[in-house]
Amino acid sequence: MVSRPLAETELVERARRGDEGAYEELVRTHQGIAFRTAYLVTGSAAEAEDAAQEGFVKAFRALGRFRPGAPFRPWLLRIVANEARNRRRSAGRRAALALRAAEEGSSGGAAPSPEGALLAGEEREQLLAAVNGLREEERLVIACRFFLELSEEETAAALGVRRGTVKSRTSRALARLRGELGEAYA
Amino acid sequence: MPELEHALVELGRGIELPPAPDLAAAVRRRIAEEPRRRFRLPPRRVLALAVAVLLVAVGAVLAVPPARTAILDWLGLSGVKIVRVEKLPPTPLRTDLGLGREVTLAEAKRRAPWVVVPTGKGVGAPDHVYYSTRIPRGQVALLWGSPAEVRLLMTEFNGEAFIEKLIGPDTTAESVRVNGDPGVWISGPHVFYYRDANGRMRQETDRLSQSALIWRHDYLTLRLEGDLSKHDALRLAASARR
Repeated sequence: MVSRPLAETELVERARRGDEGAYEELVRTHQGIAFRTAYLVTGSAAEAEDAAQEGFVKAFRALGRFRPGAPFRPWLLRIVANEARNRRRSAGRRAALALRAAEEGSSGGAAPSPEGALLAGEEREQLLAAVNGLREEERLVIACRFFLELSEEETAAALGVRRGTVKSRTSRALARLRGELGEAYA
Repeated sequence: MPELEHALVELGRGIELPPAPDLAAAVRRRIAEEPRRRFRLPPRRVLALAVAVLLVAVGAVLAVPPARTAILDWLGLSGVKIVRVEKLPPTPLRTDLGLGREVTLAEAKRRAPWVVVPTGKGVGAPDHVYYSTRIPRGQVALLWGSPAEVRLLMTEFNGEAFIEKLIGPDTTAESVRVNGDPGVWISGPHVFYYRDANGRMRQETDRLSQSALIWRHDYLTLRLEGDLSKHDALRLAASARR
């Protein structure tokens, strides 16, 4: 883990010089988070795939403007999320993305993690229902921060808002969830 | 981390999201297909670039070798690249000039306060003015004559728009100065590309004329086309004022 930022800086630098193989490695590293971020924004797997692919292509072309040494992921996510927002706007669709919990046992019968044991099925349902009941902008900020585990900076990039807005929206959303769920998370 | 945040992270790990597709191969294919930007010139082009630097340094007329493809990156003219090719690509037939929305000169100046207008003798005010946002910070086009029969066209855009000219074997490109600003005079058929507001390269013919003058002034890139001699083009360009 410690060596990863260094390796990534090197990959970005090579990609900047036109090394397509180096860029392919960057795509492999970040395609999962890029796709999931685009999916949260578009609510459609097909559009998320298009947006992520287009975002990666545009990011490659824009590498000349990338500040060397800066973190690559937030920069990339900004481009991908922009692409995703444009697609959603042109589709003219209202966001109807409701998050669902994976089917029980879909993990192939693996033993539940110690953490998993902490959140019982019923609580999980309640919490998910409460998140789905939030206003879209609040649901998105919760999904970015806690489900995709993006940093504040990355969330700001993904949602196209300032970091301060991410902070205030997050705390408003958390307060609303606490209000909704009552004592359990007071 | 407080309990609620913790529970959310845990909830997120059990959220159903569609599996992420493998994009690497598709992205690689696409970036290999698309035109390269200046900062990613492969080594074999570096020599051509070095030649271009030398030519610019001595301020010589560009004597383009009869090589199959010579790349002359116009360094004094950032964002403008001249590429010589053996054969020009076919260009789509246009039914309109694609210059954007017709506006008054006053409105163009309001939207694009940087716009300059030639004031030279005999040119007069433009007959039509267009404003387009296809280029990142807007483009203004001044047209003399009528859209069906253009006598003179001057297009201006602000900032780092990226344009590319393909010139054929019989076309010459010559380094010029407009009031001390760097420019290039292209004489002969050529094809014009530009990067639109979505970052796509678009192709456009120089449907008007065989010749064009392109130059930079401050942050502007300007293009003057029409049935003009080099001398007249330079004179008009030098007379442009805000």
